[in-house]
Amino acid sequence: MSEEKVIGCHSVAAWTEHLEKSHVSKKLIVVDFTATWCGPCRFIAPIFAELARKNPEVTFLKVDVDELKTVSEEWGVEAMPTFLFLKEGKVVDKVVGAKKDELQLKVAKHATVDEPATAGDPATASA
Amino acid sequence: MAVSGFEGFEKRLELHFSGDDPKNVGSLGLGLRLLDFESLQQVLHAVQCTVVSAVANQHFDAYVLSESSLFVYPTKIIIKTCGTTQLLKSIPPLLRLASLDRGLTLVSCRYTRGNFIFPSAQPFPYTNFHNEVVYLEESLPATLCYRKANVMPSKTPSHAWHVFTASTQNTTCRVGEEDNDGGLFTLEICMTELDRNLARNFFLRPSAKYDGDSAGKEMTAITGISEINPRALICDFAFDPCGYSMNGIDGDRHSTIHVTPEDGYSYASFECVGSVYDDRDDVVRVLKKVVQIFRPATMSVSTTCASHEVWTRVTGALEPLGLKCRSCAVDEFPAAGNVVYQTFVDHRSTENNNK
Repeated sequence: MSEEKVIGCHSVAAWTEHLEKSHVSKKLIVVDFTATWCGPCRFIAPIFAELARKNPEVTFLKVDVDELKTVSEEWGVEAMPTFLFLKEGKVVDKVVGAKKDELQLKVAKHATVDEPATAGDPATASA
Repeated sequence: MAVSGFEGFEKRLELHFSGDDPKNVGSLGLGLRLLDFESLQQVLHAVQCTVVSAVANQHFDAYVLSESSLFVYPTKIIIKTCGTTQLLKSIPPLLRLASLDRGLTLVSCRYTRGNFIFPSAQPFPYTNFHNEVVYLEESLPATLCYRKANVMPSKTPSHAWHVFTASTQNTTCRVGEEDNDGGLFTLEICMTELDRNLARNFFLRPSAKYDGDSAGKEMTAITGISEINPRALICDFAFDPCGYSMNGIDGDRHSTIHVTPEDGYSYASFECVGSVYDDRDDVVRVLKKVVQIFRPATMSVSTTCASHEVWTRVTGALEPLGLKCRSCAVDEFPAAGNVVYQTFVDHRSTENNNK
């Protein structure tokens, strides 16, 4: 994955391929579940793109919830944007909403830690 | 009372639009939600605030602002801003964007606010309600010819509810919402002199690094705000060094809380949408939770577009909690319908003040 930008998944096949690849590479995947009609998604998009540029070791994906309806339903996406942090196909963390600080902190946290964090930070665990 | 401090009382603007294009209106229409974010930012810039966090669902977009909240529905916009913001400056650019970008025209407008704690700190035209009404009248198209302004009084001199509405139709029902089941009402609650111990929950704990999202999440959990409507998805934010804002989204209904916890001018507001078809006890449960979170010495509840029996439940919910109803004013407005303004005073604080 030499591309340092956000990769759009436009088919279930492309989505599955990325997931399977991460099983092998054990790299962190951050998925932005977004929608064309969602204003908050447009607000956070440039911040997500910036994170993708700064963190080439992480795979940043974008899924349109209308385009890949089955995928977003399967992963329980109800509000937009929802960011899922995946390692080896498992959700290790989640950000619901266009939350700049939380997104940046969680990317920093999971990009560097190899083992999936289970306890999480106290603030997240209490919410 | 502090000589000056942060103004918690918000100004609130609600605009309803209509149009012919099915892309914009009706059950599948997206309308104002398709406005690009730069345009929204320009509107907010005129008001003097910025977006700090946001979330959306199928029905609407909810933004937490540096000063309160913005909600964007396909044909409705609600902006609520506190401090010394210039809320009414949003009207001309919003009308322009709605018309040019989305082909939508304004059909009704509602502007409300309480009494400012620091009125002299407000910029023009907010120094005097009369000036605000003149500004509104001049900003609105002539098609909104049914207009009314009133300051609804209370027996507490520091509390009064300022209401201005305008509509294209001489109807008390909300224009542009015919396809909804109707029966919706809005509760706007303003609370002052919060319990000091409870207000402390809205100050940041000393920690290594400030993060408004996690700190907000923590406040939502420890204060019980998350329990007001367990179904709602909450988008929250804590300010540095104190203050809190949240928007709740539950289907097509929003709720919002803003807290200025500083002693001397502490203030909290709560707003939600309900329906007369809901369980009759829902309003009671919500009001009880809200009072328990803030324990205000004084509280005003404004109910808009309600059938008569909704606001009678307000008194029934609050009196067992020691809040005595001091006044109740009712008036009818174009497009908004009945506005009922009730004020409540905590028994114990009245006793303390009289000592």
